[in-house]
Amino acid sequence: MNTLTSLFTMLFFPAGISLILVGMFYEWIDRKLVARFQNRIGPRWFQPLADAVKLFAKEQIKPGIVNPFLFFGLPVTALAGALTAALYVPIMGLNPASSFDGDLIVTIYLLSLPTMCVGLAGWNTSGRFSLIGATRSLTQLFAYEAPFLLAMLGPALAAGSWQISTITEYTEGHWLILTQPIGFLVALIGLMGKLELPPFDAPEAETEIVAGALTEYSGRGLAMFKIGKYVELIIGLSLISAFYLDGVNGILEFLLKTLALLFIMSMLQVTLTRLRIDQTVGLWWRFGAILVLIQLLVMILLKGWAA
Amino acid sequence: MSIEERLSQAEKLLAPWNKETLHPESNRVDVVISGEDLRLAVAALQDAHWGYLSAITGMDLGVESGQLEALYHFCNGPAVTSLRVRLPRSNDISIASISDLIPPAALFERELHEMLGITITGAALSDRLFLPDDWPDDVYPMRANFTTDQAAPVQGRHADEAPEQGVVGGNTFVIPIGPQHPALKEPGHFEFTVDGEIVTAARMRLGYAHRGIEKAAESRNWYQNLYLFERVCGICSHTHSMAYCLGVEKLAQVEAPPRAQAIRELVAGLERVHSHLLWLGVAAHEAGFDTLFMYSWRDRETVMNLLEQVTGNRVNYSANLLGGVKCDITLEQAHAIKEGLNYLETRIRHYLEVVTTDAMFLSRTRNIGTITKEEAERFGLLGPTARASGLVRDVRVEAVYGSYKNFPVSAVTETNGDLEARCVVRLKELLVSCFAMRTILDNLPEGPLTARMPRKIPAGEAVARIEAPRGELFYFVKSNGGETPARVHVRTPSLCNWVSVLEKAVGRQLADVPMLLAGMDPCFSCNDRLVTVANNDQHETWSWSRLREYGIEYYKNR
Repeated sequence: MNTLTSLFTMLFFPAGISLILVGMFYEWIDRKLVARFQNRIGPRWFQPLADAVKLFAKEQIKPGIVNPFLFFGLPVTALAGALTAALYVPIMGLNPASSFDGDLIVTIYLLSLPTMCVGLAGWNTSGRFSLIGATRSLTQLFAYEAPFLLAMLGPALAAGSWQISTITEYTEGHWLILTQPIGFLVALIGLMGKLELPPFDAPEAETEIVAGALTEYSGRGLAMFKIGKYVELIIGLSLISAFYLDGVNGILEFLLKTLALLFIMSMLQVTLTRLRIDQTVGLWWRFGAILVLIQLLVMILLKGWAA
Repeated sequence: MSIEERLSQAEKLLAPWNKETLHPESNRVDVVISGEDLRLAVAALQDAHWGYLSAITGMDLGVESGQLEALYHFCNGPAVTSLRVRLPRSNDISIASISDLIPPAALFERELHEMLGITITGAALSDRLFLPDDWPDDVYPMRANFTTDQAAPVQGRHADEAPEQGVVGGNTFVIPIGPQHPALKEPGHFEFTVDGEIVTAARMRLGYAHRGIEKAAESRNWYQNLYLFERVCGICSHTHSMAYCLGVEKLAQVEAPPRAQAIRELVAGLERVHSHLLWLGVAAHEAGFDTLFMYSWRDRETVMNLLEQVTGNRVNYSANLLGGVKCDITLEQAHAIKEGLNYLETRIRHYLEVVTTDAMFLSRTRNIGTITKEEAERFGLLGPTARASGLVRDVRVEAVYGSYKNFPVSAVTETNGDLEARCVVRLKELLVSCFAMRTILDNLPEGPLTARMPRKIPAGEAVARIEAPRGELFYFVKSNGGETPARVHVRTPSLCNWVSVLEKAVGRQLADVPMLLAGMDPCFSCNDRLVTVANNDQHETWSWSRLREYGIEYYKNR
């Protein structure tokens, strides 16, 4: 029976299909909000789903010189990485499907997998736009990854555990956004960097490098990369609201808190200008990383002092 | 200094090489010199800081006369001096390049070579710039005896088979931008060699929107050409037809009535608002600030609607006629325009605040692509791009034309010369334009809208200079006294501004390149004017009449 439940969990609910659908719904909300902020009408509610269906139905064109194994394998890996990460995160206010000591670190690295796949995909297709896009994707990865990890470390330190379920037990009843505001900000903006949303969209800056690393991708491959992004969005939002916003208990609380975060993210997207890649790196290392380090240091000192 | 003093100074400077002095118009002195003396004469004008090189016009004086003529137009305020170099009509003629003295001349010289077959010795550019790659060698479309069947494409030599210049070596490779690229709203081709993110070399290719308008003008009568020249550009169409009208009116010695001139200035002002708001949106989009892009284009609709109310059209307004204008401004229209201007002014003030205070946008514009005043002068910059560097280049102020003497505008300048200054100059300029438009609406002269124009235009030459939204627009109109012009040469402002972009891109980050490209507000259609239309599927060249038949058939069958 246990195998059946696990399979159901992985394929349908809460991970798998339903997660993908929720991801598409959130993507629609994001696009709609951005459109309304920019005085446009925006897409209809099923647009991301329609895009995915259309892409899956389309031919996937393979450039002549690519390694086919990597070309077809990378999108699958990216999506699989994002979906696996979902198993350890309290999505939609439910308890994580699986849990072990140290799953926070595993989740964070699984969340980086899609970006690394995008980088490899750009390198593999070796188009000029793809190459520059891939370089930028990976450069950006090195910029936001460490501060993002440190921002996730804050709640872990406060709870004294590397296990997501233990941390959420602690954060329920603690609004960590109040005690660790810097960590919250860095985590939220780090998520935007992860998802390559404006102002961190230099890796896919269309006016310079068309579609960046994914320029040569079409059909299924492109769809899987995109869906991977949607899933990442949900996982990231769940993690941040679980850690910093008094935990998520039940679907209503999940919707309220994650949508509030999404609203803030859309606002940031429309008000900020795209950063050049050197500016992105500068921002993360000169401000993000240092601020979050200072916060960690203060926490460690306070903890030691209290003990 | 008065016009006469400027002209006599030029004449004095050019005296050592002067073979013949001509006075085609009251503000012009033309000096005939021989080809060998060209560089000396240009250097003399340059050393004395007498104006700037505005255009080089190439003319075929006809098979009977056996002569070609190249005119180097120098403008100094309202005064124009043209150096005329006469050459025999053969295929092995050459002129020394002056592009080392005046960088933008490289593009003019290239045009001279491709269109008239005058070889430029020591030219800075050697690749095709305007004509298609499969255009046959030794066929020059602006020669008088050119026929379209000479232009049969050379098989097996077209752009898509150009040698692939992918990886240059190591970390260096070429990033192609265009002809189809999200950064470009019109076709052009740029190759930026990048080392990582840093641009190390830049190259460009124009001509994707060449339609052969200058050649086509020679086979149409004076009135038909009005509609043709309106279609040189889709953004500043009014200024093109206005420049053409001014040139032809000068030749016919007819002056448009005051009311018509005021309406011309009014439409030009509205067009400037539309053009600059469009530019602001494009620039914001290149920088990745899509919200500003959406908002400025939304507000641009206001002025588009006003133009539609006044002229009946949104893009090619067709407001001008030879000798006047087609549309009147009624009281209701004047009221609607004023209301529209009120809204636009508040919006423009808001955008001015955004581009000067938004920290993120400033990080992409401040101190980027800085052009000093000296560089601006050397590159021969025009329009808002030059004014952002503190160089006053504004025909409306320097060489007042039309109703600008009754409703003057002031030239807006900034000193920084970076992308921010270019944003600020353009927006402030709009406020000045709005003020002028309001004055016109309040004091619109009464009277007729048109003056009578003859069907045949008396023989002569006229230079018409107009401030288009992108800078000085230069028209050279020549008549032999017939029903069709002998030569109309168009030099658009974008052509003069290219050199600065290519020079400034080197050493910058790739991410700044779209901004630099957009910073001068390039207009590709304006650059490209000449050449018969080629249908790429069947690879045959279509004549105008064939194209016209095709168009009529196409719409019949729809």
